[in-house]
Order: sequence, then C-alpha cells, then structure tokens
Amino acid sequence: MEDSALVTDALRLLFEETGHRVSVAATVSAAVALCAADAPDLVLLDLTLGDEDGLDLLAELRAAGLAVPRTVAMTGHDDPVTRARCLAAGCIEVLTKPVPARELLSQVRAWVRSSGPGTG
Amino acid sequence: MTNLDATPPLAERLGALEAQQVEAARLIADLQARDALKTEFLANISHDLRTPLTAMITHAEILRDGILGDLSERQRESVQAIINGGRQLLDSIGEILTYARGAAGQLTVSRTEFSVAEVVAKVSTLNESLVARKGLALEVDVPDDLPPLQADREKFAHVLSNLLGNAIDFTPAAGRVWVVARAVAGDGGCTLLVEVGDSGIGIAPEHHDLVFREFAQVDSSASRRHHGTGLGLTIARKLVELHGGRIWLESRLGEGSRFFFTIPYVADS
Repeated sequence: MEDSALVTDALRLLFEETGHRVSVAATVSAAVALCAADAPDLVLLDLTLGDEDGLDLLAELRAAGLAVPRTVAMTGHDDPVTRARCLAAGCIEVLTKPVPARELLSQVRAWVRSSGPGTG
Repeated sequence: MTNLDATPPLAERLGALEAQQVEAARLIADLQARDALKTEFLANISHDLRTPLTAMITHAEILRDGILGDLSERQRESVQAIINGGRQLLDSIGEILTYARGAAGQLTVSRTEFSVAEVVAKVSTLNESLVARKGLALEVDVPDDLPPLQADREKFAHVLSNLLGNAIDFTPAAGRVWVVARAVAGDGGCTLLVEVGDSGIGIAPEHHDLVFREFAQVDSSASRRHHGTGLGLTIARKLVELHGGRIWLESRLGEGSRFFFTIPYVADS
C-alpha cells in the first residue's frame, strides 16, 4: 500500500521479476477492497498515504470481518515510538526506508514462505 | 517635580494598552499560523524529496543485482555509483531538513531507554566497508555494564554517525579511529561521556569553534575532498544540546582529533 507511483513502479518491477504477484492500493479503502477480493500473502504498508494513516488499514479490515494478512510497515524514521505503534496495531515487522532491494527481497521471500502453501 | 498636566488621562492610557494587547494577540496568532505552515512544508518537502530518490535507488539496485539480466563489471560499477550518489543525496537531504527543523525550533526529543553499546555497534557496522577500504583500525570501547541511556535513540545515533563518519573521512589510510563511552558521576548526577577520536589530519585550535558553525568547512586540501553539506557538526551540537549535553573537541593540526559529547542520565523519578 503506497501512494507514490514512482515507488510502486520500482517495487512492482522488483517483485514481479522475481516471481511474485503484486497488487497496489493508494488508499486505505482501495486496500480493503483488494484484500476482500484477493487476500494477499503479505502487505507492505507505507505509513504516510497523503492525509491517511496506513495503519488504519488493519483496523478497517478487522471492522469489516476480514482476515488481516501478514503486514510489514515501511517508515522513513528509525523511531522506537513509531515501531511500537506499528507492532501494537498488528504489523509483524517495521522496516526503515529506504530498504536495500536485496534485503527487502530476501525478507519478503521469507515472510511469504512462512505464510503457508499456495503462495506466489 | 512632575508636570501632571502632560500625563495623558488614565482612560486614554488604558485604551492604548488594550490596543497593544489586541495587536500582540494578533501577532502571536499570525506567528503560530506561520509556524504550522513551516511544519507542514518541512514534512511535505521531506516526503517529496525522499520518495523519488528512493525509487531511483531501488531501480538502480534492481539493475545492479542482475534481476533484469546480467551486467558487465563496468556496468555494475556504474550502477553502484548511481546508488552511492543517491544514498549520499538522501543523507544530505536529511541533514538539511534536520537543520531547517532545528532553526525553526521544531526539533524535539523522544526519549526511550536503550543500550549505548547496541547503537555504537550498529553505527560501527554501517561504516565497516569504508573502514576496511581505507585499511583503518576501528576500536570500540563500551563497557558491558554501562547503564542504559534515556534519550532520543535516533538522534543519539545521528550524532555518533556524524562524528564517526568525520573521523573516518579525515583519517588517512592505515590510521586509527575509536569510540569510547563511559558513565561519569558528578555533582549534578550521572552523565554519559562519549569520545570519538582519530589519528587523522587534526584541526588547528583557532578553527575549533568554526567547525561547529553552519556551512563551515576548514579550508585544507584534505577537507576539499570531503563531501557534505557543512551542517553535520552544527546539527550534532544542536541534538546534543537538546538533551542538555555538551560537545567539544581536542585537536591539533597533524595530531588527530578527539570529539567529546555528554548526555546527562535522567534521574529515576
């Protein structure tokens, strides 16, 4: 979930070229709709989406009775307060941007593998 | 003897005072509105500068890592240069924005308790490849029993990173850089004292104040090779002083440098 086309283009290229299927949402409501239609194995969540708080996605999924996928928050600050807020909201990890592509790919592969069979 | 006939009537003076109060309240509201605009501008500009740069770096890393096909050695070097330049630009943007927030009085301290040794180790690791490339010896001396520090972890790491980066930059190949941390008891309580030193080119005593000033770089042939905004030590001083600490240096030209900073431990409530 990311509202910058530049960033989503780069990450889509990275993940599609390495065998993953990628969906993109720029708003919380679009992300909820995507999760309802085709539950992802992993969500990479940018915290700042215009004037929305990315973490609202998790609360809205729960409110809609939808399963909350494994979610990793991406933030620009290595800040323990932000980290604690993300983990309390249900994120499994918090990454500080910019994450080196190699490292991000390796971590995403591990998270997707651990989320169960039938992943892609 | 006072000429009472020249004193304005009381009602007139009260009226003038009230008018001044109204004007003062208007000015305060105006300043607060401008302050809010500045905060919003800084947040937006930070996002707007960093986002495209992050995307560029990601694309370059995709190329470098052969995800779209193998590159020749020269191509890989060229792409790595794009990545290095991009990361350097990100660091400079970060410095400029931190400086701007400091100048706008918008830097705040968010205290959590953390291990000094852990942050020193992380910052040292981030500089490992540069240390190795220059053949420097990096010595870290942080006792295991050093009390955890209650401070803004990100800002503490920023100060340490700036000082260590400078030490590495200004030390010729095969030299030494070091980081030492101690808890020092004093009249005002316990204080963390950190020293970042190097066996590098040193700084003449008449320049010791200059190095902490905005945009200043001591003019020497070695420092001309040094990249940066000239804001690093200004920001380091600001961040240390935000914590109630002090930063200073001991150095002579040709005899290396030792930068010291203190951060008072917060007394238990």
